[in-house]
Formats: sequence, structure tokens, C-alpha cells
Amino acid sequence: MAPTAVTPEFDRERAAAERAGIDASCRGPVLYFAASAAFWLLVGSALALVASVKLHTPYFLTGIPEFTFGRARMAHLQAVSIGWTSMVTMGGCVWMMCRLCRTELIYPKLLFVSGTLWNVGTLLAVCGILLGGGQSVEWLDAPPYCPPFFIAGLGLVSAWVAATFRRRREPHVYVTQWYILAAVFWFPWLYTVAVFMIYWSPATGVVQPIVNWWFNHNFLGLWLTPVAVGTAYYLIPKIIGRPIHSYYLSITGFWALALFYSWAGMHHLIGGPIPAWLSTASTVGSVMMFIPVIAVGINHHMTMRNHFHRLKYSPALRFTVFGAIAYTWVSFQGSVESLKDFSEVAHFTHYTVAHAHLGAYGFVSMIYFGLYYYMIPRLTGREWASSRLIRVHFWCAAVGITIYFVGLSIGGWWQGRMMNNPDVPWGNIVVYLKPHFLSRTIAGVLMTVGHVAFAALLVMNLAGWGKKRTGGPTYFVEKT
Amino acid sequence: MDRGMVIFVGALLTFSSSWLGLVLFPFWQLNGEQPYRKDAADDPYPLALQGTALAGQKVYQREGCMYCHSQQVRSEKFGNWWDEHGQERTGADVKRGWGQRRTVSRDYIYDRPTMLGTMRTGPDLANVGGRYSEAWQHAHTFNPRVFNDWSVMPSFPWLYRKEKVVGERSERALKLGREWTVDPGYRWRPSAGQWDAILRDQGEAITARFLSDPAHSTAAIDPGTADGKKRLLDFWLTTEEEGVQIVPTGEGEALVAYLLALRKAEVPLPEAKE
Repeated sequence: MAPTAVTPEFDRERAAAERAGIDASCRGPVLYFAASAAFWLLVGSALALVASVKLHTPYFLTGIPEFTFGRARMAHLQAVSIGWTSMVTMGGCVWMMCRLCRTELIYPKLLFVSGTLWNVGTLLAVCGILLGGGQSVEWLDAPPYCPPFFIAGLGLVSAWVAATFRRRREPHVYVTQWYILAAVFWFPWLYTVAVFMIYWSPATGVVQPIVNWWFNHNFLGLWLTPVAVGTAYYLIPKIIGRPIHSYYLSITGFWALALFYSWAGMHHLIGGPIPAWLSTASTVGSVMMFIPVIAVGINHHMTMRNHFHRLKYSPALRFTVFGAIAYTWVSFQGSVESLKDFSEVAHFTHYTVAHAHLGAYGFVSMIYFGLYYYMIPRLTGREWASSRLIRVHFWCAAVGITIYFVGLSIGGWWQGRMMNNPDVPWGNIVVYLKPHFLSRTIAGVLMTVGHVAFAALLVMNLAGWGKKRTGGPTYFVEKT
Repeated sequence: MDRGMVIFVGALLTFSSSWLGLVLFPFWQLNGEQPYRKDAADDPYPLALQGTALAGQKVYQREGCMYCHSQQVRSEKFGNWWDEHGQERTGADVKRGWGQRRTVSRDYIYDRPTMLGTMRTGPDLANVGGRYSEAWQHAHTFNPRVFNDWSVMPSFPWLYRKEKVVGERSERALKLGREWTVDPGYRWRPSAGQWDAILRDQGEAITARFLSDPAHSTAAIDPGTADGKKRLLDFWLTTEEEGVQIVPTGEGEALVAYLLALRKAEVPLPEAKE
């Protein structure tokens, strides 16, 4: 008997029904993660503004210990790293993994436990720091009673992602899945080792900052970066409707990142009281990062080629492509920054802060915004209510991070040059920096306005405003 | 790469390499490093913090001081600049007086956590105990703009207590003019109206005090003119507030004890020679 020909029409309908079923199974927990993350983004933005204003106007809110610069800064970092980026990462991992494995999420309700553990942990961390429990361990400032919440919450997500992968119905494993699998395996290990060696069984002296910077750099490199790059790998082909340019470049990019990024952290301790070979090893790792970054950059660019005009229409694509471009830029900059001659100036200055924000915001957060604009309508069945608000969000975020980056990079560079010259009195450096600090506040206000627009859109969508999803998404400009 | 095991094993191996190289190897090399003694009769260095200084480290930690102040003095070969003769020179940290030598891993063996820091919005504090007096540290912590008008460091008024003077002024009281103490944490200045009211009440006493001050005794002053009023105000603001004093709380004392105990770059160590 000859095989029955399957019509493409039939396939398409069945695939759509399958996707709808998968989305329905993920809806609850993924929306919970996404909404929580957006809330922490707002909290983090407010704390960032407090800290930023204080650097040029020290009498702002003086006398309130909860909002002194040091505490606001620590709380800001916890709110945006643990609250915002990590919660999107987890929600995104679960959803993309289900989609790419073509399988429904099992026991979705248990992931609410994970999200709640994470929210409680973040709340304790932010409030604990503001009330005087900050630990002054960069990126790990949360009081010691917080990590168990994060480890338990993370363990659940990792287990669910692995279980989903085991139940996959799609035999082909896509590049996004490699990144997600690796990230949910690396991060729990990374976090537990760091907490263990710094808090539970503290290592001697400078071993702590060594572990600390191994963690900090890998938090970005092996947790946020793989998932954000994986998200771009998922969204770009989905939106423009064509496959990734090269499978082999994807493989090169993935393995080179796994090997080299994990070695890159120690250049943050350059010139410090640690064995010199450590910084050198990290410089090698950092410079080798050119390989995965170029591989991913070419792959994304070639996929997008001849389709850039779609940036005019699609919000999700515009955010994602902005993030992907920022990834190439921030990684090139990072490789150069790790070189000794460059580090001798840029280390200990706000140049590094600008670089960190280009990475965590310009790259990671922008791609995650793209993920929201793509994913949320598919989960709620509602389109975004206002393309104007999306436009406000995009331009505030894009212009904000650009001002932030330019202002502090210039300020930080000359701060470093002046600092290296002992004939320059310290006061001159501070006075020189003040207008640059002010530019950061302006950028921060812009970004915060964008986040308010973003949160408003999300609330509207979750509350059922906005038209039902029938055909195409909300575009910036309607196609003619 | 359609097999989960390939990804898992690869991710395991790559990550293990950095874990071994960047974490376990330094741990094995540096963990348990011992204090230094030149000979059996020598006192060991460093010593662990104790008592109030240790309590002060907690205050330093919770206020996030290390996000603007590093605690590491770098090598005399590190960093470069060109002096007025166009000569290239290196090693700003030591030349800024932040320490007599670079710091090495042994300087930190008792630190928990080790707050090396990665930002210098303010100067390095590894050896700050050798640079300033206790009184300076208290006044500067209370409001850094007492000494440096341009400073962007926060004031820490919650580490100090404003109280009525009973009997003599306390020895611990900060010696600051009323501009700093009327509204702790801020720099206070009365409005024109307030100043007029104060002058109506106590103008004669303030003028007499102005004239009895050795710095002004020869200068005539007329509180009637705008200039006289301003000069009188500037003087009055530098005098101490009557009947009240600012004293450090236990936490304020502890923080300053910690700062004074920070002397990481003084005792010569063989491995710190360049």
C-alpha cells in the first residue's frame, strides 16, 4: 500500500493545535515567573535610581539608613540579578524547552512552588539588605538565610527542564536546547559552590574573592548569556520564518562559549593580591571568547540578512536584534578589557560598570524583552494592547542604555587615567566624575519610564485588555 | 548533537576544567596560609580582628562601604602615568600614600569576608588606619563634607546620637560647628528670615562672641549691613550648638575602630618585595 500523502494544510493545523496544547500546559507557571520578574525589574529600577542620584547629590535622602548608597546598590543588584533576569531565565527555559521538545509540561503546578521560593528569597534578600543584612560579597550580598530558597527553587526548575527534555517528542535537538540544558546544569553547581566556599565553610582570605569572581563572571557567562543567546536563536528564525544560517557555526559557538567563558572571571582581580597566573589564565579565556562571539554574531547576522526591514514592524524582533548586536559589542569590549594594559586603566572605575550594564541590560534584558513580546500573547491568547507603549518602552530602553554606556565609559576611562597619576588630587577625580554620574541618572530615569510602560502592557495583557489573538501580532506599524 | 548525553558530558567537562583551574587549584595553593614571623621571638602578622574592630567590620559590610572603597594596594609596577618631564612612571597606589608596599594574599588570611573591592569612587582603605586620626574619622563618617566640600560619600548620622549635654561635654563628642549638627547628616544654614529672628534674639551675644574671637578681635562688624550679617552668620555657623552634643553610638565607635585597625600594607613581608 502506498503511503498516504499528508497535505501541508493538515500538518499545519495539527502543529498549531499541538503548540496551543503545549502553551496551555505552561501558561500558569511561566506567566507567574514572567510577572514576578517584571515586578522585580521595577523594584530594581527604583533602587538603581536612589543609588544613582546619591552619587552626584549626596544629600538626597540623607539620614535614612535603608537608602544609603551602599545598601541601595546591593539591593538593586539582587533585585535585578536574582529577581529580574534569573526569573525570566527560568520561565523562558521552561517555555522554550517545552516548545522545542514538542511536549507538554508535566506537573505544572509544582513550578509555582519554585517561583514562590524564588520570590520569597528575593524579597528577603532585598528587604534584608536594606534593613542592614547586606554581606558585601559582590553579587552574593543576600543575607545567608536566602541561598537555600534559591537553591531549592533552582533545583525544581532544573529538574523540570531535564524531565521535559527526557520526554521530548521531537528527535532533533535545536541549538537553543543545548544552551538551556547546559545553563540549568551549570548554574546550580556554580551557585552552590560559591555559597559553600564563601558562607557555609569560608575559605581563607583571598580564596573568597577568587571564588566570588569565578561566580560573578559565570553568572553572566554560564547562566544569563547561554539562555539569552539561546532565546535569540529561537526568536529570530521563528519571527522571520527562515532557518538558522549554519548548524556548524552554532556548534562552534556553543562549545567555545562553554570552554572559554568559564575561564574568564579572574581579570576582575587584576593587580590584586592573587597569584598572577590566575589573571593571566583568565585573560587567555577572555580573548578566546572572540571565537564563540564571532560564530554567533555571523550566524545571527546571516540569518537576519535581507530581513532587516522587519525590524520596522515586529517589536519582539527589534528588541531581540538590539540585544544580539549588543552581545557582539559587549563581548568584543570584554575581551579587550581583559588585556593587562587596558585593565590597568579601566579597573576600579565606572568604565567596568558601563560594560556590565551593556551586558546585563543592552544584551540580556533587551533579548528578554523580545521574549516577553513574543511569548506572552501566545500564553494568554491576547495581543498587546498598545503599540505606542511598546514604542515608548523600546526607545526609552535603547536611548537610556546608550546614554548610560557612553557617559560612564568616557567618565570611567578618564577616572582611571587620573587615578593612575598620583599628582592628581582625589577631589579633582570626583569633581570630574559628577556630570557623568548625572548622565547615568538621566539614563536611569529613561530606562525606568520604559519599564513602567512595559509593566503596564504586561498588566493590561494579563488583565485581558487587548484583542484576542486571531491572526498576526501587534506590529509597530501595520503592514501595507 | 541530538543526544542529551553528549551535551551533558561536554558541559560537565568544560565547566569542570574551570572549576578545577580557577577554584580548586587556588584553594589548594592558598587555603590555610599561615601568619608570618621573622623568627621564633617575632610577633605573628597579621592578627585577627577582635572586639570593637570586629564589630565594626560588620557595620562596614552592611553599609556596603566596599562598593566605593577597595582594600588592596597594587604593585609599584602597576599602572602608568607621565610626570611633568614627560617621564613614564608607574605605581600610583603606593605614591598616593595608600600603603608602604603592595598587599599580598597573607595580609587577608583572617578576613571574612575578604572585601578586596572592585571600585574606587573613593580612595583605597587597605591601610587607612595609618592615615587619619580617630577624631578625623568620626567627623568624616558623620558628614564627609566637613573636610571635603566635593565629597560624594554618604553621611552616616545614624551611627551618631544627638543628646542634651548633662554637666560637662562628653570627651567623645564631635567638635563640629552648628552648621553640621543642627540637622545631622546635612549642612544647615538658616533662611534670611530665620537669621533675622535669631539676630533679634541673640544678636548682641553673637556679636560679642565674634569680637572676642582672636581671629576677629580687630575687625569691626555691623550687624545692620548685609555684609556684616553674612560674616556674622558664617562665624556663628562654625560655633558649637549650645546644650547639645553629637556622640558616636556603639556602632559608630565600632566602625571607626575597624577603620583604624586597617593597616594591611605596613609590616614588611618577604613575598611583598618587588
